[in-house]
This record gives sequence, structure tokens and C-alpha cells, in this order.
Amino acid sequence: MKRVRAFLYHFQLTLRLNFANKQPLVYGYLVPFFFLIAFGTIFRSGTPPLLHQMSQLVTISALGGACFGLPTALVAERERGWWRRYRLLPRALPSLLAGTLLVRVVLIASAAAMQILLAHLIYGTPWPAHWAHLAVGYAGVAWAFLGLGLLLAALAGDVPAVQALGQCIFLPLIMIGGVGVPLQALPAWTQRLAAFLPGRYAVDALGAGFTGDGRGAVFRFNLAALALIGLGAGLAGTKLFRWDSGRRIGPAARIWVVAALVPWVAIGLFALRTQRWPALAPGLADPAEAIASAQIDAIAYEGLPPDDGTVTPLAPPVQDFSPEEKERLNQLAARLELWAPGRVSPASQAMRSLISVAAVADASEDPLEGGIARLVFNHLCAHFKQDELEKGLASIVLYPAAGHVLTVMPELDLPDPIDAGIVRERDAIYAEKFLGRIRGRIND
Amino acid sequence: MTPALSLRGLSKSYGAVAAVRDISLDVGQGEIFGLIGPNGAGKTTLLECVLGLCRPDAGAITVQGIDARSHSATAMERIGAQLQTSALPDAMTPRQALRLCASFYARAAQPEDLIRRFQLEEKADAKFATLSGGQRQRLALALAFVNEPELVILDEPTAGLDPPARRDLHALIGAQRSAGRTIIFSTHFLAEANALCDRVALIDRGVLVALDSPEALIARSAAVPRVVVRTDPPLERLDLETLPGVVRMTPAGGAGIRGWCLETSALTRTITGLGPLIDSRRATLLDLQIHRPTLDDVFAELTGGRT
Repeated sequence: MKRVRAFLYHFQLTLRLNFANKQPLVYGYLVPFFFLIAFGTIFRSGTPPLLHQMSQLVTISALGGACFGLPTALVAERERGWWRRYRLLPRALPSLLAGTLLVRVVLIASAAAMQILLAHLIYGTPWPAHWAHLAVGYAGVAWAFLGLGLLLAALAGDVPAVQALGQCIFLPLIMIGGVGVPLQALPAWTQRLAAFLPGRYAVDALGAGFTGDGRGAVFRFNLAALALIGLGAGLAGTKLFRWDSGRRIGPAARIWVVAALVPWVAIGLFALRTQRWPALAPGLADPAEAIASAQIDAIAYEGLPPDDGTVTPLAPPVQDFSPEEKERLNQLAARLELWAPGRVSPASQAMRSLISVAAVADASEDPLEGGIARLVFNHLCAHFKQDELEKGLASIVLYPAAGHVLTVMPELDLPDPIDAGIVRERDAIYAEKFLGRIRGRIND
Repeated sequence: MTPALSLRGLSKSYGAVAAVRDISLDVGQGEIFGLIGPNGAGKTTLLECVLGLCRPDAGAITVQGIDARSHSATAMERIGAQLQTSALPDAMTPRQALRLCASFYARAAQPEDLIRRFQLEEKADAKFATLSGGQRQRLALALAFVNEPELVILDEPTAGLDPPARRDLHALIGAQRSAGRTIIFSTHFLAEANALCDRVALIDRGVLVALDSPEALIARSAAVPRVVVRTDPPLERLDLETLPGVVRMTPAGGAGIRGWCLETSALTRTITGLGPLIDSRRATLLDLQIHRPTLDDVFAELTGGRT
């Protein structure tokens, strides 16, 4: 009981001292606020505004708080001799360290809450779709990043070294780890490398809470990845923790650093080999190629909406359109030939983008929705080999949450933005309808 | 009676440098025990070994009969310590610091009582950053007593303090003697050790070179008392040589020599003989100084004058 009281007093005192200090407030809240404004300026016209970037934004803030805030505070305290003084207290170090970490969780979580609130108030960003997923995902993100922060604090000899070491983690994660720059914008080798970094797992774990995408098995995998990364770094950080600035790190530290990186490598290899890596994006060797015939054969084509219904309509191969309708379809066909998203690599991503045209037309209740879907089907058949097309469409059916979908296409006269979740859902249905026709399982 | 602290064969090296070499000593209950020695002698390393801040290479440390190496947490419940360098967070107040440290001990003093005892009432709720050097040292001392320790270890507690603050701290340390606590402290100020300590250990290059009461160490010293005498007109060397006990004499007083420094093996007899000599030479006594041997002399003798 005494120990719990000591822990609680240290926790609340550390929290109060943090709020009494300008520097943590600036780095903890003002910098995340600036990130919000920067993201808002760029993505405020998204649909819905900023929602799909919120997981990136919150990840960046958590990463900053963990990679810089925590180790800077710990190393500064160590340099001033606080931890040396604390070391004299009996059985106190684990409790003091846990209290310090918990305070940091409160600080970064409150900064995230501030970003969510302000994004809602300033840009009209919807509230997170799944609060429970967001809370659990955030716990995983905090665990992983604070583990890294603890390790950085142990390795850094002084405060300037924290900045240098922190940048070694922060910048790669932001630039090539899928946190700041979308994976689709990166070359293939970088996307593959990103599988070995914790950033994208954090973004996707939070994304499940914000948008509802990637829940279930994907969410559990992301959470497990973050848990392992945090565990490895946290163990190494605790083992190497220095309460005295005069105490140097020995050569054995290298072994602990390697041990902390083992989960990164293991998770990356596992993700890539088991198709769990979400980067089904241009530039990467087409993940659809790994789809097995048995997987395609197992698709049942059951329960699909009727072709003449309101959801995912598909015009028959031959249909009489008015001259105006014909004219519009011809123009659209001509534009699709040159449409960049329909020509990217890998092929499965191009197919996903093309099918999104039908999905957006359907969801926006375009008068020619059935005709547009037929046009897309014909375009796919004309531009992709059958084997390639079968695998690409199957990958959309089997992994609807993967890859990148387009939600608005003003260049194709489809200007009304549609929710990404709806587009993915309709993409999967259209892909199944098209695949059934190509394989002769659905009569056209 | 179980010693408050017992060291047996304690050794600690940093690479090729032996900071502490095979030191064995006992500190009795209720003693005020001083550790003196030149800079880098190994005093702080020795204290850090006792406090568990560094791991000795060899040797045994027993605190109140408890093996401090294998039961460090139990031992630390009974030790209070003040380190040479350990600041607190700038925004933390003395009251908060005392309450925080007290919360980790099974037995702890009331923070209010410590604030009163160490004269921190006026600054109890002031931020650490605003405390003066003396106030910070008093707070560090109060923190050392937060667990009502049986053994208190103070590493250079008066370093960097001005004379009034140092005197305050001496009074506070002296007051703890009546509470029956054992206090071990290291210091550069030999007069401080002389005034406060029951016994002192002199450490040089990691080796324990002397251990006894200040009086006994001085008595064992080869240094002899000195008498500096100045008269007008100055006394003659031949006259002074006749004084009883004088073993050596050197001119004193700089260029205009008006006095002599007499080293004597019989201080009382030398001074007694000085009066009639001055009278017989019709001289006027201008100044008379008596210097008895101190710990400084012992220190210089045993360490070769290194500081």
C-alpha cells in the first residue's frame, strides 16, 4: 500500500511539474497543434476532411513525444543528478520509472485528444468511427514508441545526443516508414523496407479507430507488431537504463540494441511473407501475383446484388443508350485510356483504381452508373491479360482493405466525393462480378 | 556492539586506476566519523560503494549488521545520504521533495518536522531553482534524514558554502549527535573534521593511511608546536638558543626581520623562559603567536602535502 501511495504521489507530482514547465508544454501541445494546422491546410478538402490523415497526424505526435520528449526529459534529469538521488531510495527505481512513463502516456494521449477535438472543431473532421479500437490502438502505439524512447534515453550520453538519436528514428519513420509520406508515393524498395519499421503498423492500428478500415485480423496483427516492438525496446531500455550520467554503456549494450531490433526484422519478414503487409501499392512487386488458384477457385460469387438493382448495377453487354449517353460514355472511355491511376504499377492497384470509377459512379447515383460499370469491365478486359486480371480482381475481393482507393474523380466527371469505406465495399462487389464473368461462373 | 558500518577488504578499480584498495574499517554506533584525503583519494568512491551507487570489485560491506551488497534495499532503509551532486527539478519545492522521498520508506519522518528541524520554513513552498546554496544544502541534509536513518552518509556537505552557512550546517550535524545517529562524512576542511569528528580516516590514493581520533593523530604526528615572537629591538639568535625546548629557529617577519619562529619540544617551558629574556634585553613585545600541530600537519605529513 505504501508503495502504491509512493507511485501515485510521484505520478501526480511529475505531472504537475511537467505542466509547470514551459518547454514540455511547447513541445507537447504547441508542436502537435502546428502539425494539425499543417495537415489541415493540405487535407481539409478531403472526404471527409482530414479523417484519413488523422492516424498519421496522431502517430507523428506520439512519435515526437516518445522519441524526443521522453528521452530528453530522462537524460536532462540524469545529467542534473535527480536519478542518482532517486537511486538512494529503497526499491524505488521501477516505480519511479513506471510513473515517469505513465506521465508521458498522459501527455501524449492528451495531445492526441487535443488534435482530435481541434480537427473536429476547425475542419469538421468526423469523430473517430470506433473509439474502442482507437483507445486500444493508441495504447499499442504508446507502448511501442515509449519503449523506443526509453532505449534512446539509455543510449544517449547527453541531451544533444538525444536529438541526434531521436532523428535517426523519427525521420526514417516519417519519410520512408509510411507515417508522413504515403507508402504509395515511395519506390518499391522503400515500401518493402517500411515493413521493417514500426511506423506503418502504428498508423494502421490508429486508422482502424478513425475510419474503421483494417479492423479484425489486420488490427490484431498491427497491435501484436507494436506490442513486440515495444517489448523489445522497453526491455533493452530498462536493462541499459542509466541513473547516473557518469555511468558509461559497455560493449554489451550492442547486444541489447540488436535484441531490441530483432522484433522489427521478424515482424517485417512475417508481414511480407504472409501478405499481411498493407502496402499493396504502386511500385511494389504486385502482391496479387501471390494469389493462388485455389484462392480464386474458392470465391463463391454468392449473395451478389442483382445487376439491375440500385447497388453495384452493371449494364448488359448490349444496351441501347440515348445519343447523349453514348457520347458521354465514349468520352469517358477515351479519358480512361489516358487516366493515370488506371495505368500505374502494380496492375492490381490500377485495377482497383479503375473499379473505383464504377464504385464512385454507383455510390453517387450517376444516371449512367450501370453503363459506366460495363465500360470499366470492358476496359479491364481489353487492357489486362486474363491471368493477370483474375489475380488482380481476386486480390480486390479477398483484400478489400488493401491498396489505395480513389474517392473522387473530377477529371472523369465524377466530382462528388464518396466515403472510402463505401468505395472499398463496392469495389469488392464489382470485382467479384467481373471475376465471375471472366471465369464463366456468372452468365453475362 | 554491532558496528554501524563495517568494511572488510573493500576494493574498487576503474580500468587501470585503483580508486579504493583493500580498505577495512569499523564505524561505531553514534560516532561522527570523518573521511579526509586529497582530491581523487577515493573518498567518494568508498561512500558510493557503501550506498550501492557503484559495485565494489571485492570486499564486504555491513550496515547495522546487514550485508549491504546482498540486501541493499534493506540496508538503504536504514541509511540516509547526501550526495555531492544531486539537484532536484527546478519547479519542485522542498516540501514536495521531502514528501516524495518519505513516501518510499517504511519508516519516515514527517516532512513538516524536517522543514522545521533544518530551518526551511520560509522556503518550504519555494521552487528549488530559487533556493540559495546554503538552503539547497540544508534541503539535501533534510532529505538525508527523511527516513530517520541510523547511519547518515554526507559527501562533502559543506563544499561551496560560505562560512556562515558552513557554521549553520556544523550546528545541524552536531545536533544529530544527541539523537544517537552515526554520521560519516567526507570533507576537504580539516578544521571541520577536527571540530566535529570523533574519529577520522585519512585516505590517500585509495589506501587507508591513518585511522584514529583527531587528537591521537595529531599526537602521533612528528610536527611540533611553534612560537612566533616579534620584539623591538629584535632578540638575538644566540639568546633564543638558550631557551628551553627550542629545537629549531627561523627568521619570521619578511624583509625587515623583527621576529623569530621557534619550533619547540616543550611549549610551556619555552614560553615561560621567553618573558624574562625579553625583560633582560629591555625589548618590547610586539606580537606572540602559538601554533599547535593540527590535522593539516598530519595530512601534509602523510600525503606528502598533496591536496
